[in-house]
Amino acid sequence: MAKARQIVKRRKAVTNIRKITRTMQLIATARFQKAFVRAMATKPYTRKITELVEELSAATQGQIDHPLLRENPDAPADLLLVITSSRGLCGGYNANVVRAALAYLNAPGARPHELHVVGKKGIAYFRFLKRQLERAILDIDDNPRFEQVEPMVADFIQRYETGKLGRVYVAYMRFISTGRQIPEVMQLLPLSRETVKGDAAATKTAGAQYEFSPSPDLLLKRLLPQTVKVRLYQCFTDAAISEQVARMVAMKAATDAAGDMIKTLSRQFNRARQSQITMELLDIVGCAEALQ
Amino acid sequence: MVAATKNVGKVIQIIGSTLDAEFPEDQMPGLYHALEVNVERKVGTESHTDLLTCEVASHLGGGRIRAVVLGSTDGLRRGSDITDTGSPVQVPVGMETLGRVFNLVGEPIDGGGPVRAKERRPIHHEPAAFAELTPKTEQLVTGIKVIDLLAPFVRGGKTGLFGGAGLGKTVIIQEMIARIAREHSGYSVFAGVGERTREGNDLWLEMQEAEFKTAEGQTKKVIEHTAMVFGQMNEPPGARLRVALSALTMAEYFRDDSGADTMLFIDNIFRFSQAGSEVSALLGRMPSAVGYQPTLSTEMGELQERITSTTRGAVTSVQAVYVPADDLTDPAPATAFTHLDAFIVLARSISEKGIYPAIDPLASSSRILDAQFIGDRHYNCAKRVQQVLQRYRDLQDIIAILGVDELSAEDKLIVARARKIERFLSQPFYVAETFTGFPGNYTSLDDTIRSFEEICDGKHDALPEQAFMYVGAVDEAVEKAKKLQES
Repeated sequence: MAKARQIVKRRKAVTNIRKITRTMQLIATARFQKAFVRAMATKPYTRKITELVEELSAATQGQIDHPLLRENPDAPADLLLVITSSRGLCGGYNANVVRAALAYLNAPGARPHELHVVGKKGIAYFRFLKRQLERAILDIDDNPRFEQVEPMVADFIQRYETGKLGRVYVAYMRFISTGRQIPEVMQLLPLSRETVKGDAAATKTAGAQYEFSPSPDLLLKRLLPQTVKVRLYQCFTDAAISEQVARMVAMKAATDAAGDMIKTLSRQFNRARQSQITMELLDIVGCAEALQ
Repeated sequence: MVAATKNVGKVIQIIGSTLDAEFPEDQMPGLYHALEVNVERKVGTESHTDLLTCEVASHLGGGRIRAVVLGSTDGLRRGSDITDTGSPVQVPVGMETLGRVFNLVGEPIDGGGPVRAKERRPIHHEPAAFAELTPKTEQLVTGIKVIDLLAPFVRGGKTGLFGGAGLGKTVIIQEMIARIAREHSGYSVFAGVGERTREGNDLWLEMQEAEFKTAEGQTKKVIEHTAMVFGQMNEPPGARLRVALSALTMAEYFRDDSGADTMLFIDNIFRFSQAGSEVSALLGRMPSAVGYQPTLSTEMGELQERITSTTRGAVTSVQAVYVPADDLTDPAPATAFTHLDAFIVLARSISEKGIYPAIDPLASSSRILDAQFIGDRHYNCAKRVQQVLQRYRDLQDIIAILGVDELSAEDKLIVARARKIERFLSQPFYVAETFTGFPGNYTSLDDTIRSFEEICDGKHDALPEQAFMYVGAVDEAVEKAKKLQES
């Protein structure tokens, strides 16, 4: 019977899909662990640099002045960097980031934005919406390296300092824990004073007095750009981990769904096969009876 | 009904609902001739005599014939006298049959007294002559969006409604009766073949209540334009095998003699095949594929070839075809398939979504779904709708396994439109008004095409899916969306 054969074919296809999704789930798990370790490895550095900035800012009694802390109200446009993945099969990961970015872009009173998009999926989506992309960045994958991020930030900083850019925002998936990631639009530039000042009372070194050489001002000039770079790099590593987590979860769900489907199809096939057998038996018995 | 010289034989054997009789060798009744035999039946202590009609099926030689009994054989006994009527079963035809209900031998069963028809005609005769046939390609607009767009009925053509149990074949047939009567000046003949007697009764009662307005603005009952013939499940196979022919004979009269647009509704043609299979076994023929009679396609052909439009008038027929176990490859529905101009396939998956009529937009089609007959605009629109729905169906496995988020932006849009189209294919029915609370809706063909074009163009992407349920043209969906938003 044609029906039984069709069901077998579909079941085979679904079984193959399940094989793939299960493999991808395992790969995503492995990649997640790697990305997690990598991200954790940068954490002490990020923390230290933040502490340092805090201390310096405390030392200057908040009297710092730096182009990266100033607003650029006259700049023609803001910039939004959207970090998506280049690979699919990660559930709602890209859709969520893009949705957050769009909500931000379409918010009432939004300023004109330059749109920079990282990752094939996001690029494809914004192209589909016929949005103009200033830059489509494809060379940063799910294993971002600092050398890749640095020139991008350097460019932002350079343009920001010369007043050609308004604010700079990053839309990415923030990694909070394995169970929780939230799409977020974060302001990268100007650095807010809060980030720089920190909570002076809470820092353990708040009371300690250091002598700085060269002067804190000079140090800050070097450190602030570094902070921006590190923060953006943090966004990329967060995005990379979140992508793997999303893929893990999506593939787990897909594997389960495929399993359910195989079960249903098997049942359908068994029924079709049985009815075919019954039908053939009836034919044979009927004929034998008629021939007697 | 009785031949000039009374030709009497004797019953010599009775097997189920067939019997053998012996006649004088030189006075054999012809094939398909009706025979009559008196049967004495006892109810309690009372006994009464019924006239039982049989039909000659084969000559066995030696003056013996084998006949199919068209009624119950209870009380029939060997040795009874059996009379040849000299002609096949004859049924009354003409305007007098309108509004009445008959059994297959043309006796009224609605308790309305005898039918004084001027004419009776045999139920067996040749189909219309080769040269008289007029193949039609004109669309019969039903006002049902999904049918008009994707499986247009042919005026003077045949349409099959294929569907498993409980999908609404009968409702659509009833709706068609109401719509054709409402929009056209024709007559309808309804053949109830082997379906539930209760359903037949329901239909009869509903048709007595259902009203429509004639072109002159008069309010009339649907039943006044309809003749009904029933041979339901309780009848023996012989009756179910012949009842369609009786109804067809009445319809042929309207076609040939009144020239009016005539509709012939048959519910359910599968029972005809099924009855043929039972009779075949009793006649001792060897069963063929899946236990059906070896003559399955011959029987179907003989019936279907007579349902045809001629130079004198058009018969448009709508036939319900039960699909055993939802398997369209079963020999009985497959045989009916080949004869039809349009086929409407009802799908369980759609009725499960609560979308009625539960017509499968991709499996249903029509001979005249061709730019040559219906024009480029209609054709292109239908193809676009099918493409969108086909894409959605192709994506369904992916959605089931990976989730809707994995789709590309284009595909997501297609899915959203397909879901809207799916819902937009539902439509309130006149005959279901008392159940659904929505008044019936007639959507003109222009509105239908325009609506689907607009949806495919993405003009209504902003409306919620719910707004597309049970509306007529797309403008009603827009209004419904507004109301939904307000509430």
